[in-house]
Amino acid sequence: MPVEPESPAEEIRHLRRCISDLVSVLALPATWAGGGPSQIVGNSLDALVSMLSLDFIYARLRESTGTAFTEMARVTPDWESKPRPEEIGEKLQPWLKNDPQKLPAVVRNLFGKPSITLVPLQLGLHAEIGVIVAGSQRADFPQQTEGLVLNIAANQAAIGLQESSLLSAQRRVARELDQRVAQRTAELAASNEELRKEIAERKSLEERLRQEETELKRSDAYKAAILDSSLDCIVAVDHEGCITEFNPAAERTLGYDREDVVGKHMADVIIPPSLREKHRAGFARHLATGESRVLGQRVEMTALCADGREIPVEIAITRILHDGPPSFTGYLRDITQRKRNEEALLETHAKLARSEERWRSVFENSAIGVALTELNGRFIAANPVFQKMLGYTEEELGQLSFMDITVEEDRNLNRMLVNELLEGKRRQFQIEKQYRRKNGNTVWARNSVSVVPGTERSPGFLMALSEDVTERRLAEEALNETRSELADMARLTTLSTLTASIAHEVNQPLSGIVTNASTCLRMLDANPPNLEGARETARRTIRDGNRASEVIARLRALFGKKNAPFEMFDLNEAVQEVVALSISELQRNRAVLRSDLAVDLPAVLGDRIQIQQVILNLLRNGYDAMNMVDDRPGELLIKTECDEKGGVRLSVKDSGVGIDSEIEKKLFEAFHTTKSDGMGIGLSVSRSIIESHQGRLWAIRNEGAGATFLFSIPCSTNT
Amino acid sequence: MVVDDDESVRESLPDLLREFGFTVLAFSSANEFLASDSVDRTTCLVLDVVMPGMNGLDLQMELKNRGHKIPIIFITGQKDESVRRRVLDQGAVDILLKPFSDTALREALSKALGGI
Repeated sequence: MPVEPESPAEEIRHLRRCISDLVSVLALPATWAGGGPSQIVGNSLDALVSMLSLDFIYARLRESTGTAFTEMARVTPDWESKPRPEEIGEKLQPWLKNDPQKLPAVVRNLFGKPSITLVPLQLGLHAEIGVIVAGSQRADFPQQTEGLVLNIAANQAAIGLQESSLLSAQRRVARELDQRVAQRTAELAASNEELRKEIAERKSLEERLRQEETELKRSDAYKAAILDSSLDCIVAVDHEGCITEFNPAAERTLGYDREDVVGKHMADVIIPPSLREKHRAGFARHLATGESRVLGQRVEMTALCADGREIPVEIAITRILHDGPPSFTGYLRDITQRKRNEEALLETHAKLARSEERWRSVFENSAIGVALTELNGRFIAANPVFQKMLGYTEEELGQLSFMDITVEEDRNLNRMLVNELLEGKRRQFQIEKQYRRKNGNTVWARNSVSVVPGTERSPGFLMALSEDVTERRLAEEALNETRSELADMARLTTLSTLTASIAHEVNQPLSGIVTNASTCLRMLDANPPNLEGARETARRTIRDGNRASEVIARLRALFGKKNAPFEMFDLNEAVQEVVALSISELQRNRAVLRSDLAVDLPAVLGDRIQIQQVILNLLRNGYDAMNMVDDRPGELLIKTECDEKGGVRLSVKDSGVGIDSEIEKKLFEAFHTTKSDGMGIGLSVSRSIIESHQGRLWAIRNEGAGATFLFSIPCSTNT
Repeated sequence: MVVDDDESVRESLPDLLREFGFTVLAFSSANEFLASDSVDRTTCLVLDVVMPGMNGLDLQMELKNRGHKIPIIFITGQKDESVRRRVLDQGAVDILLKPFSDTALREALSKALGGI
């Protein structure tokens, strides 16, 4: 940028200003006298930035140690943004890190300014103190005079910094010296103190030793040791009852200081006021007569403590044997804790007694019977409920074993269960059994029996909780009776529903017999007798007679026997007998019965009569079902065969009304019937009969009309 | 006439009735009897109560409805008081419980035929 020649007037003004600036710069050191580096540099920068109208000025000072440095900067107030010293340093870094002298005079685009001229100034001969960079946008920067001002200012600052650095070094050295002196002084003082202490300790040790020596001399060491170390309180008194010794244990226990009590009358100190007169009297009596109630014995007494408490003590008093007036030594022991333990024990006993009482009460008032027996069964105890149930008193039961009052039938099971209990195979068992009461009646009891194991102090025993269930058992028996009555009724119903046809069965041949016999007689009585006719009618009479007796025999077989034992029988034979019995009824119902009996059917095991009842029932059901149908001829098919499971199956297939699904569910329920004259017991009884043969009875709907009822039972080789 | 589904009755009873001196025909069912030409020639009917199909009571009603006044002697294997009352109410001569004696039958027959 070309420099415009200045007018002489202007040059003079310029120079004057320069001289003024130089004077200011030279005056700078006065402003920082005694200040630190930051003050020196700060003042210099302030002065330069205003004197030379700089845009900014930046200084970097090396620290005395290492590579770290301190940065400072001043920026013209004209700048809107004020970059921090670090930011300026960072921008200048590319030039500063090399030789600052090589800084380009003009830098573009710095801090948003199109062009800034930088002038570096070294602090120190080789910039060892730091560097200052001045920057301005002015085109004529730096003028000669400005460069001079800057250099001189830098020199002034460098000198100031050096002086400052020197001063601070001097101060540091002085401080260090001071510290060292102070430290050394303290050390000396400490060693002096130690010496003093040592001397004092030695003195006090010597003093203590001397004291101990004198004490030892003054007192009997042995006695002192006993007195001091004894856990018991030792109180010695002279013949007047004055305390001559009071050991540490006594001090601790009773709370008096030895000094305070030695020389005092014992009666005034540790004897409670209420006992003092007695004590004095006893002491005086002893001195006078030599007799004593307390000497040489352990006696429990009460002692008065310094704080007014009275504590229980055990005391033994000995009379010291030596010349002159007698003296006594008392050994006291605080037995507060022992008393407390005794009380606690008593309390525990009382609790135990209360607990026992409570349990006793539970036992006595229990709503169910409770009995305890020895392991061999002999009664130990029985509560009122149990006694009442058996009619024996507890004393009477004590002479008995539970086996004695158990009825004969229940003994074996009971014994077995108790043995298992004793062998540990079970922890408890329940049994319902009958007891024989004292009056000979029996009572049903439900017992829960458990074994209570023995302890080292007591043997084990058996505990039975016994509930009188006689009423329940009676009710159950009544129920069972009702059930069996119901079964009987079912049987009778079967019988009575059959009676009609059976009566017909029997009466038909009987009728034939009577009619034929009458005819026969008339034919014989005729003149001439119709022998041919008589023979024929007689033959018919015999035939009908046989037929009637057959029917009767079958009926007797069918209903005569109760609970016949299981036997092996041929199912086909049984079927044929039933068919023969019902044939006429079937005929009367115009039903056709076909039989399809397997030839090689294995024998079955069971109650033949019961099975025949079932077959009869199924046949009756079959033609009853067909009776409800008028539009087609009834056809019954009875069939026997081997089933898939190795059993035997019998089916009765009818062409009757069939089974609708609603009815199907209830088919085998007792008292369900679709017949107006039926009792509806047949099928349910039949099913229970078949089930008692490990068999199954069921029904299926036919493809065509009607239904098929089937049962299967295992054959004898399978069972 | 004898109407009974039981064969032994059909073979024994006619013989006895013939011994009594009657002319007898036996039928095994009510329909068989009604279908025959014997209905008009019947002077007395011995009739079983329980029969498949139309039973004795039905036949009695049927004959009554047709205007026949044939005296009927019922015979039955089952003692049933209600049935007895009913047939007698419907005009039966008697009802005999099987097995019946020849005397009882004779008395019933004379009652039936004497009423004509």
